[in-house]
Order: sequence, then structure tokens, then C-alpha cells
Amino acid sequence: MSVAEKKPRVIEPDSLIGKRIPKMDAPEKASGRTRYIHDINLSGQLYGRILRSARIHALIKSIDTSAARALPGVHVVITAADIPDQRPIGVARDHFPLKVGRVRSQRDEIAAVAAESEEIAEAALKLIRVVYEDLPVISDPEEAIKPGAALIHPEPHGADGTHLHLKQGTSIAHKGKPDNIAMTFDYVHGDVIQGEAESDVVIEDTFRLHYVTHCCMGVSGMIAEFDASGNLLMYSNTQVPFLHKREFAEYLNMDPARIRIIQPPIGGGFGSKLDIYPFEVICLYLARAAKRPVKMLFTREEEFLASPTRQPVLLTLRSGCKKDGTLTFRQVHTLHDNGAYTSWGATTPFVMMQTFSSLYRVPHCDYHTAAVYTNNPYAGSFRGYGNLQATFAIEQHMDMLAERIGMDSLAFRLKNAQDSGETTGQGMVFKSCGFKDCINTAAQRSDYTRKFKENEVNRSRPGNIRRGIGMASMLHVGGGAKIYPSDGCGTILKMDDFANVTLITGASEIGQGSETVLSQLVCEELGLPISAITVVNNDTAITPWDVGVHASRTTFIAGNSAIGAAKKAKTKILAVAAKKYECAESDLDLRGGFVIKASSGEVVVELSKLLRNLHFQDKAELVMTTFYYEPPSVHQDKGFKGDVSAAYAWGAQVVEVEVDTDTGRVRMTKVTGAHDVGRVLNRLGIEGQIEGGVVMGQGYALTEELLIENGVMKNPNFRDYKLVTAPEIPEMDISFIESMDGEGPQGAKGVGEAPAICVAAATANAICNATGVRMFELPFTPEKVYRALHGQTPKLYWKPWRADQ
Amino acid sequence: MTEPKHYFAPTSLDQAVECLKDGDVTILAGGTDLTPQSQSGKLRIKQTLMNIRRVPELTGITLEGDEIRIGALTTITEIMENALVKQHFPVLVEACDHFASDQIRNVATLGGNICNASPAGDTLIPLLVLDASVELASMPEATLYRHSMPLSTFFVGPGKTRRSLCELVTGVRIRVPGPNHIAHFHKLGTRPALDISTISIGIAGTLKEGILSNVRVAFGAVAPTPVRASQTEKALEGQRLDAVTIGKVAGIARDEVKPIDDVRATAWYRKEMIHNITKRMLSHVAQA
Repeated sequence: MSVAEKKPRVIEPDSLIGKRIPKMDAPEKASGRTRYIHDINLSGQLYGRILRSARIHALIKSIDTSAARALPGVHVVITAADIPDQRPIGVARDHFPLKVGRVRSQRDEIAAVAAESEEIAEAALKLIRVVYEDLPVISDPEEAIKPGAALIHPEPHGADGTHLHLKQGTSIAHKGKPDNIAMTFDYVHGDVIQGEAESDVVIEDTFRLHYVTHCCMGVSGMIAEFDASGNLLMYSNTQVPFLHKREFAEYLNMDPARIRIIQPPIGGGFGSKLDIYPFEVICLYLARAAKRPVKMLFTREEEFLASPTRQPVLLTLRSGCKKDGTLTFRQVHTLHDNGAYTSWGATTPFVMMQTFSSLYRVPHCDYHTAAVYTNNPYAGSFRGYGNLQATFAIEQHMDMLAERIGMDSLAFRLKNAQDSGETTGQGMVFKSCGFKDCINTAAQRSDYTRKFKENEVNRSRPGNIRRGIGMASMLHVGGGAKIYPSDGCGTILKMDDFANVTLITGASEIGQGSETVLSQLVCEELGLPISAITVVNNDTAITPWDVGVHASRTTFIAGNSAIGAAKKAKTKILAVAAKKYECAESDLDLRGGFVIKASSGEVVVELSKLLRNLHFQDKAELVMTTFYYEPPSVHQDKGFKGDVSAAYAWGAQVVEVEVDTDTGRVRMTKVTGAHDVGRVLNRLGIEGQIEGGVVMGQGYALTEELLIENGVMKNPNFRDYKLVTAPEIPEMDISFIESMDGEGPQGAKGVGEAPAICVAAATANAICNATGVRMFELPFTPEKVYRALHGQTPKLYWKPWRADQ
Repeated sequence: MTEPKHYFAPTSLDQAVECLKDGDVTILAGGTDLTPQSQSGKLRIKQTLMNIRRVPELTGITLEGDEIRIGALTTITEIMENALVKQHFPVLVEACDHFASDQIRNVATLGGNICNASPAGDTLIPLLVLDASVELASMPEATLYRHSMPLSTFFVGPGKTRRSLCELVTGVRIRVPGPNHIAHFHKLGTRPALDISTISIGIAGTLKEGILSNVRVAFGAVAPTPVRASQTEKALEGQRLDAVTIGKVAGIARDEVKPIDDVRATAWYRKEMIHNITKRMLSHVAQA
């Protein structure tokens, strides 16, 4: 008997890292099959609607819901009086879901209805009679912070006018505040007085940053259902299911174990779903009272009126440098318009101070913020988290200082830019740092220096079009941010008899492409094609804990977690194979769905066959692993110092514009970006992430603005709130600097927020390069630019709020 | 949104105008203004909602003698693609090219844009400088009654026209311009598309041997209605377009308009833009 010589099959090495992999949810979304919360309907479901305030600031004297309750088809009508166990909500626990006795902003919730149809619910709202007693409206934070200003959250007084002096520990919603200051932040490193003394040049300017909002394509919504045992099931668009589960339990005074959150595919987050808003708690109240599932969806107008905004900021920056171009100090005071209630916007100083203290080497830095209550919309978290605002000021000052000392602005940036291995005054440690590469790459690819000089010369030429080029750089957390007790993420991984993997991750998908990147990382580890994986990521009853989608953390944290679980699976598989084929584990590897010889790529056994053998033997076993990744970052101390992220992302963008001096219109023609992303994982995904971020930054710079007058939003619609449209999007040239972060998954860092941060600052520098006129206030709408060009813009100056500074 | 009691979709002009007799009727054509306005509560839908989209007499673009008639139901896209319009009224095509978005242009109608009577209505400025007239039909007794009026007298205020409640706008008529006719349009907004004008300008006339005559100038978004600018027209009439004249006329235009501040711009900026864009447009005419 002769056996034919059979050539062993060899699997060539391959990698998924850096490839262009289409998002896994793309076919469903592109073909309109994705079932968003809008598409989900439960049997027996009622429709919830909210009555919002007709006034900006007023006492509620009475609410009459009798006619609404009597309307056929109405099941439940609730006001604060119907919910005696309401607990205060929000970051500062300073308001109730249904307002008690007083409204403080246009969005305020007064009553809610659950009815058999949206139309009936809407009709019922119209039947509710509210009597108000108007109070003075405070819409200017500069007025609100003055001593003696009328109070937004006054301390309660008895009927005879005496101060009730509620005991400490009760929340602001109960005990009020003696002033309008919602939060303050004070940070210092070095000594700015010394820094100023050492300076050859000192400049001080005030910058004003405006209101914008997220404009998610999917409006807010949720469905709540209590089962017969009182367990709560929520279909929610939250970005932070696990923390919110706990918080909802607190608001409902129930055991968190009895709450389950399922996240349907989310139509955009960008930070907007990082807090719990009144509508969510109200929807739960309605479901509890109606004993039926209740679905609540915003209209687009409501989405504008009752969604969080980006934090508006008034900012005075004082900066200095020496003649040789060395930065000496920065002193910053900001006034944050908190709006009527406190959400995450008030905490943007966490990020802003990092930029002031640590983007460039600054020996002395002094930073102060007061977030002040007003009757305006309240600000939440929004991609970039204060960094767009901080960068807008800093990067204009970089150009201005360079000009004052007669230094090339590129050389000035490079002289002060950090290298890897540096620790900043705030205690951030830059383990991987491609900052200088970013600056040099963006400058070279855009021909920055030549164009900058040419444009200055061309300013005096005839014609109405002026060309300009401007640069800005940024620093942002890229390896999570240790804000909560844990910044971790859990993974459960299981393999079936066919070598298919199910990745069960705590990390939520909000459109950013995380499920695709996590799949790549797992399949890379296990030597499997991307088609071999299923991701489960949207059900708190199944998925392990994660702190939420924020701080550009998912790729880094959830990625490391997924790799950890995959590595454990691989170790187990190789141990089984080594035993079975009597070799060392290190002689084997996984590739292309096979166990192979590591040295030659020769096939040892098909992975699925090995897994079946393992499963269907006497001592049956499955390959299932778990992993929890906690990044090696630390909490900040009381002075806000500490290495809060496991890695930091860097970037530089060059914006080119054409300014029409007849009309003030600014056309953005090109954006050249260079981003230190650690390593490119999914090239298609990261390109989309950067391009989308640039367009969001473009809207912030040029067209978007929520117009608020005396607390009233004047443009809650897409006609007058102007998003950038396709023809306006500039040409983009994006480069990736791969600094291969040692802690990052396959070397990668988080970049979700990074691309939006520089655009407005670079645009301001470009407009100045084009026209010689510096703009301190966003957005650069045609009228605002035209006014500035014609000397019609008074110099903005805000005296810092601390009398001693 | 208010709900109508009756819905009626006539298939002839007679049926449509007969339905209008009792007056309590909201007319639906493209619906691109009606829908958002009724949803926002700005407009209340009356007892009867009449969908006129099946009325054949309201469609078509035809040459009738020395006039071109554009039916009220003609969509903005149809206007842009029509050979007669392209040949004789390129200025109308230019304005339509700045009208909202492709999707809206596919359903929005010329009659609707006219009856919505927005001070910033995009087609109204070119129609005004082309001396268009509006055709109206009604049924005061048992028979159809038609008449027309100049578009320049049609607008009364924002959203208000001289159309009575029992009349239907059936189309517009525009005389085919003679030789040496020029007409230009400029719309200024924050964005190149999907925008309401901050201001818009139409300029038309006969340009012969450098002299401009039969001048028509109209401005959008600077008054409660789209307006003809009589003083600017007077200053231009019979003039040669040299730099001094252009500068003088632009100044007259700026002084002639009385705009307001709103969410889109201040009155000051609008006046500045009337000046700068008028100057730019006239310079282009002079150079052409």
C-alpha cells in the first residue's frame, strides 16, 4: 500500500489591523432595515408626551389637569403633586423631573400624559391649565454672578418669610443656594506672577464661545415597561447603561438588580446621552402609573428645546512668552453659563484645564472657572468636552504671541511642543507622543509656511476674495479618563463548535464603529476572519459592566478588554492542541481558522474540529473566557493633578479659507489634519471618524448657533439652526501618525473626540491670516465676519469674576 | 397639527374653484410650506383641505402668443428643466437653482411659492423683474371667472396676498423679453443650499450700447413683502454703467430699503449687503 505524498497545507500570515473594514452595521443602516427605538412597539403600549413651561422663569401657582384626565383615550396625567416620591436628578441633584412650584427655563417639565395615541396625548396637553406668576429672567451669566442678583435656586423660606435653614446634606433641589454659582474649579501649577515677571511679551484677550447642540439624526426616546413582578425593562438610547441603571434605581427608589436596560441601535450620541434627563424619569413614572408600557419620543423641535447643549463659555486668557519663543505662563478665567440646572457642561473644566496646563510646555498655569445658574438651556457633554473652547483661545494666542515676538508661528509651536517621556505640570505623563510629527506633517502637507506668508502679502491686492491659512493643535485623553471609581470594561467571549466567536462586551455602540473595531481585535488574536464573530453589546442583563461611552475611551479600554478575553481563549486552545498533538504550546499559533505550526504556518488541525473534540469528549469543556480591563491611570488629587489617562492623543489641523470681504462669507476650502492615533486599526472607520469630526468642528466654527434671547430659543429647527450641508464640506487631507502606544490595543489610542477640537481655532487663525482681523467670538457667520472687517465689533473684554485676581 | 374635517381632491378647475366658494378651505399643492407651518401651529388648517394636485388646468409650461404661461402646479425642478424657461428666462432658472434642496424642489410648486408670499421667496424676485402677472380663477356665480393682476401688486404682507379666499392662483404669465434683455439674480445666505435668503436681488432691463433702460430692480427679505425698488430703478434708468453711476446707485439702493433685525441678520447688515451686492451685480453687467 502506498500513500500519496500529500503536501501539507500552509496558511500565510495575514492581519486585520490597519485594513479598511466596513462597519458591521452598515448594510442594515444603508438599506433602512435598522430598528431604532422609533421602530420598536410593544403590545399594549401607551404614548407619553410632556407639557413644558410656557414661561422662562415663574412660580407655578396652580395646575388644572381635570379636562386632560377626562379626555377619552387618556390613561394617566401626572404632575409633581402626583409623584410624592420624586427625587432630585442631574449631576448636582438640583431639579426634579416634574418641576415643583417653579419653572426656571423654557424646557421645564410641568406635566405628562400617557394616552392611547400620540395625537390624544398631544390633545390632552392642550387641555392642561397652568397659572404662572412671572419672575425676572436672568439670561446673562455676567449678571447672574453679581452679588445681589436674583436667585435661580433660592433657599426655601417659610410662609412668614423666615429662612428655613434646611439641614446640610439635602440636595440643591430641596435646600436651594445662597448664590447662583453652580460649580467652581481652581487649578494652579507654578507661579504665574513669577511667570509674568519672566515674560518679554504678555497678552490678554477675552473669547466668547456660543451655544450649539448635537443634532443627532435620531431624536431622543425611550420605552419603559414594568412586568407583573415589578421589574423594569427600559429600551433606552443611553451611552452609559450601567451607571444609569444604578441612578434610575435611586430615582425610583428600587433595587438596581430589578432594572434591565436594552439599547436599540442609537441614532447618534456625541455625548448627549451621558446624563439622565427628566423625560426618561417621567416616562418611568408614566409606565409605573399606567401599568402599561409607555413609549416617549421627542419631536425635532423638542429635541432642540430639551436636549443638552455644548457649554457656552466666556473666557479671559492671559499668556506670556520670552523673546526666544519660550512660553512662560497662562492665566485663565472662565465664566460658564450653566443654564437652569447642572449637567456635565459644568464639569468641562476637567478637560479645559488639561489643555491650558499641558498642551505645550507651560511652566506656570493658573486656571479658574465659575459655572453660573441662569434661565438659559442647560449644557451637557458634547464631543470634545470643553476642549474646543479652550483650544479656540490657546491656539489664537499661540499665533498672536508668535507675531508679537516676530517668530514664525510654526517654529513657535514646535519650540514649545512636548516629546514623549515628559510629565506636565498637571502630572500627565506622555508615554507615547507624536505631537511634533503631527505639527510638521500638517504643515508640510498643506504648505503652511509658504501660503501663510503669501496670504499676508496678498491682503493688499484688489478684489473681494482673501485667502487664509491657519493652524491649531490639540491634546486630548486617548486612553480613557479615570473619573469614576473604575474606568474599566468587561468582556465575555465564547466560541461555538464551528469556531465562531460571540463577543459580549460592556461597550455600547452609538454609531462610532466600536463593534467593528472590537471584532477586528478579537479575530486578530484568534486568527479568524471577521465574518466569524457576533457582537452582543446592548443588554445590561447579558453584558458585563462598562463605565460608558465617553472620553474617547471605547477602542482603548473595551479593546484591551476584548483582547484580554481573546488571549485567554487562545491560551486555552493552544494548551489543548499542544497536549493533543504532543508539542509545546509555543510551537503553535492560530491563523485563518486553523491551529498551525508557528514556525512554518503548516496546518495542524482545523480550529472548529479541535473545539468539537474538546466539547464532545469525556471531560467535556467549552472555550468561554471573561476579562476585565482596568487602565493603569490614576485619579486626580484634590488639586486636579495626576495621570488621569493611560494614553494621550495629539493632533494638528491646518484650515484654509476664502473670505469674501463684500459679504463676510467664509468658505472653508481645505483641512489638512495629522492625528497621533497610536495605530490605525480600521482605516475606513478612522477616516470616517476624523472626517465626521472635522465637519462637526466646521459647523461649530462657521454656521451652527442656538440663538437664545432672554432664555427663549429662537431657532429650534433645521431651517434656522444651520448645520453644514454637503457642498460646504472642504477637501480633506488626513494623515495618521502611528506612535504605537505601549498600553494601547495593538498600539492604538482613542480619537473619537479629537478631530472636532482644532477646527474653530484654526479657522480663526486662517481668517486673521486672510484679512488681518482677529475674531474672538464664534460662530464666524457672514454678518459677524463682515462687522469685524469693518471695525463694527467692539473689543470683547470680560473682567475675571474673582475680585482678587 | 390641526385636523381638517373634509378632504377634497378635485380633478378639474371647475370643481376646485367651486369648492372654494364657501371660503373655509386650505389649499394643498406641494405641501412644503403648508406642512411645517401647520405642524408648528403657525397656520391652522381650515374645515376643508383641498388637494389641487389632480387639476390638469394648473400644469404645464406653454408659449401663448408673446407670453409664456407657467401653471401654478409646476414644480421648481420642472421649471429648471424646461426648454422654454431656459431659453427665455435664465434668471428664473438661476433662482430655482438656489431654491431649498433637490428633494424640496421636486415637490414645491411655483404657485405655492407665490401664495406663501414670503418676503424671501426665491422665485418672487426674478418674477418681479420679469414683470410677471398672476392668473386667478373663481366662480362667483355658476361659471368660471378668470382675471389677472401684476405680481408687483399681488403681495400685501408676510404670507398675505390680494388673492381672495374664493380665488385660486392658476399660473403666471410672463412676456417673452425683447432683444438685448438682461436679467440677473443673487441670493445671499449663510449656506449655498437649504437656506432662507438674508437678502436677494433681481436686476433686469434692456442693455443697448452700454445704456440700461426699462430697468427693473427687486429686493427680497428687506421688507414685509418682496419689493420693487422704484428709486433704484429711477437712478439706473437710461444710465451708462460706469463706476460712478454704479457707486451712486448702490448707495440709493441701500438707503431705499427698510429691513428689520431677525434671526438671520440685522437691518444694518442687510442694508450693507443690498449696497455691496447691487454694486457687484451692476459691475458684472457692465463688464459683460
